[in-house]
Amino acid sequence: MLRVGGTVSAGVPLSHAAPSVTSPFGSASYVEGDRIRALEVGDAAVPPTELAFLDGIQRYAVEGRIGLVPVVRGYVAAAVLRRVRETLQAVESRSEEFVLAPFERLTSQQRAELEGVGLPLYDCPAAERSHPILDVRLAAKEVETKREVLELEIARRYLEAEPAGWLVVDGALTALSEVLEMSPKVLGLIKSHETQFLDGRDLEVALTLPAAHRTSVFARAVGEHGRVYTWYLRLWPWEEHDLLYGLVRVERAPTDATVDEATAVSRWLLAERAPLAARDGRWDRLIYPIQQVETYLRAQAGGWW
Amino acid sequence: MIRLGDGGPVGRVVATEALPAGPHQFHFWTATATPVGIGAIVRVDEEAGRTVYAVVVDGRAYSDLATPLHEVVAAEGDPAGTRAPTRRTEVRLWTAAVLRHVPEEPVQPVPLAEVRLATDEDVEAALRMDAYVRSEQPSAIPVGVYRAGGLTAPVSLDAEFLLGPESAHLNINGVSGLATKTSAVEFILASIFQRLPMQKGTVAAVCFNVKGPDLCFLDQPGELADADRELYAALGIEPRPFDRVHYYAPFKVDGVNLNTLRSHPDLLGSVQPLVWGLREVLNFHEVLLNRDDIDAKADAFLDFLADRVVEREFRDEWGNTHRVRSFADLERLFRCIFDGLEQAGRSDVWRTHHVATIRKVRNRLLNISTRCKGLVTDDGTVSDLPFGQLEDRAVYVLDVAGMDQLGQDLVFTRVVSMLREHLERGDLGVEHVIVFVDELNKYAPSDGPETYVKKMLLDISERGRYLGLVLFAAQQFRSQVHRRIVGNAGTVVFGRMDMDELATPGYQVLSPATKIKLATLPKGELMVRHPHFTQPVFVRFPRPPVLSGPVGLKQFPPAADLPFEEAVVRQLAALDRRVSSARIKDSIAGRREDDVRRALLATKRTRPEDVVGFFMASLGPAVSREPIGRGESVARPLRSVEDPYAT
Repeated sequence: MLRVGGTVSAGVPLSHAAPSVTSPFGSASYVEGDRIRALEVGDAAVPPTELAFLDGIQRYAVEGRIGLVPVVRGYVAAAVLRRVRETLQAVESRSEEFVLAPFERLTSQQRAELEGVGLPLYDCPAAERSHPILDVRLAAKEVETKREVLELEIARRYLEAEPAGWLVVDGALTALSEVLEMSPKVLGLIKSHETQFLDGRDLEVALTLPAAHRTSVFARAVGEHGRVYTWYLRLWPWEEHDLLYGLVRVERAPTDATVDEATAVSRWLLAERAPLAARDGRWDRLIYPIQQVETYLRAQAGGWW
Repeated sequence: MIRLGDGGPVGRVVATEALPAGPHQFHFWTATATPVGIGAIVRVDEEAGRTVYAVVVDGRAYSDLATPLHEVVAAEGDPAGTRAPTRRTEVRLWTAAVLRHVPEEPVQPVPLAEVRLATDEDVEAALRMDAYVRSEQPSAIPVGVYRAGGLTAPVSLDAEFLLGPESAHLNINGVSGLATKTSAVEFILASIFQRLPMQKGTVAAVCFNVKGPDLCFLDQPGELADADRELYAALGIEPRPFDRVHYYAPFKVDGVNLNTLRSHPDLLGSVQPLVWGLREVLNFHEVLLNRDDIDAKADAFLDFLADRVVEREFRDEWGNTHRVRSFADLERLFRCIFDGLEQAGRSDVWRTHHVATIRKVRNRLLNISTRCKGLVTDDGTVSDLPFGQLEDRAVYVLDVAGMDQLGQDLVFTRVVSMLREHLERGDLGVEHVIVFVDELNKYAPSDGPETYVKKMLLDISERGRYLGLVLFAAQQFRSQVHRRIVGNAGTVVFGRMDMDELATPGYQVLSPATKIKLATLPKGELMVRHPHFTQPVFVRFPRPPVLSGPVGLKQFPPAADLPFEEAVVRQLAALDRRVSSARIKDSIAGRREDDVRRALLATKRTRPEDVVGFFMASLGPAVSREPIGRGESVARPLRSVEDPYAT
């Protein structure tokens, strides 16, 4: 492979095909230059003092069925942990437990009975025809939406209290685009790369970035009219692993400051590689503070974990 | 939010399958910044009204780091690389051993509730001190203060369990050189003397100073820091030296200079000579004679001497009348026996005792006055402890540091035997006597032969509490002391310990953290085990209110040994500064040294108003010597009997 210009991967044996990708491609436009370039960011730099991390979790369980209709119990939680003198402290936290069922498939009496279980009862979509798997999947999607709503609420509350600080969010800013107007210092840190916004040579540059390099900033669409600025950053060398190893994508509000500060932000993100979030299999892309938010939320969730 | 030092919770009990909470031990976590430490006393309250008191015996801290390799990877192999911006989440997990459940029944696992630091009252309750600190007839003897999280709480021992009869004896362990053992005993003695309640009766202490100047300045005030004075105030004890201290020391080989480091002219007057004669020694011949020597035949002859001869009028078969009071008298008796046997031609048996046995006993006994010269005289003079007149709250120090092991054994055995005899008869002068001996491992080693001293120590430790005879003993290595002796000590005190010693089986009950704390214990801190305390407790005690040995030596440097006449003058001058050196020297010039010693001893023992007059009177009129004619021999050499035991 090396003789023909290829690279060697980890060669980890697998048994099943990778999970299906729901939205494999997205659109993008150049912001920094007229093509995607690999830019060296230099050594890791000390992160800003005012820095907090946001993450959310979700869980659901099929508690039963009324006929074929699934009754799903859901749990969502989100929290912000702020770093003060190297120690993470919870400053915002909220959780909610609820019951989901497609109202359109329930009688008024059945619905009244479910309302009496002591948890909030919410509606969820159902498939056109009853389907034992598809119906549950739609309920789960609703749980995910509720988690995103909760994250948005938590982010808003934090930024109202601490408008000057940086807030690093686990995942894309799609659902948090509202808060981008509140603060230009909100970062989304994406570690899964299901959706590819680049193509051709640009994509090759992005996915073969050397360690401690970033791509030039580009824009991706959010919803019908919105957009965020984004760039790829390689935290760890990918050679002898695979293309996505140690690769994160950073999202930020579409401002000039985002472009100007992309290298500086990348440098302090490099510093977040330590300590290693090694108890998580995604440690090459997961930074420790985000993992700690998740640990905190799981500890709060009690019986859900 | 966890609050520190304000009475709020400092931790929470946790229980997992691997680390469950039991009725006797549990685990709790705290913040990383916490006043909790090894030895801290905590309380756990259950909503139902149950309270559990416990002492922290172990602690661990760990983070979510799965393997050190992850730290290496994160730092890219460079220890000096960029410092991680986030500190790993860390847990402080403590193990606590339960001291007390309130109520006592039913005994249940510790509730999974909040953990608080103990308050003053909690310490009393946790250590069950409330039973004797706040009872109608308190019997608390302060031993130190417990300190944790800004709290200073007095810790007391129960006199009933320290001086008997419930339990008794105190054993103290610790490495040498830190003065912790001696200091602790001095402080505890001061505490007992000041705080022992009247209803507990009278008490005196007999201390054996077996090395250096350790106990030589108990009557002199020591220098105390403000922190020490605060501790004294907290414990309700006045920091003052002992009011009544009586010193005893044997003479040196010259028979006139006292064998003690307390020989400074300002202090010498308070040191009494310790001098014994034949009677005082004969009852303890087992100490001085090798065990191999004491067969049934020798033992029978020694009994014969003790019962029929010593201090009795004894007529031998050759018409001589003996009254044996001293080693010199005994020697005369032996000579008569040997001469008589020789003249009678019956050289093998005298009154059923074989002559070889008699010779063996004679050689060993007469040799005693040589081996213990300074302590044992052969002229019948005696200067002894005032058995029968011991004073309440007085310390009697026997300075035997300058003696060899044999002499120390003799002093120890005889003094303790006498104390015991008088206590049995109830005429010692006090109801309790504390015997303090250092280097217990020398007198009662865990291995080695069954010596008379060891048997005596065993007897005290097992039966002394009924008599009021209490043993305070110290040693460096508890593992090297006879198990029954240390096992019978109701109260055990540990100073800084040697790690090798802590690795011995006797310390298996202690947690690793407690052992490490013991191995690094600062001066002035002790771990105390007492019958009321379910678990050992760490306490801090103040410096004793007396001059320490080394400081005392600087302040009162020992005087150099003087020639005979000068030494006599100095000892008399210590009693009365007006003594004229020239007059004394004139009066003793040409007198037999033994006569002078006897007169000096009598003067020191009596401590008269008119020292010189008394001394002169004791000395008696000078008798002019008549020269012995040439050719006259005082003793005739033996011709026919071989002496295989002559030394």
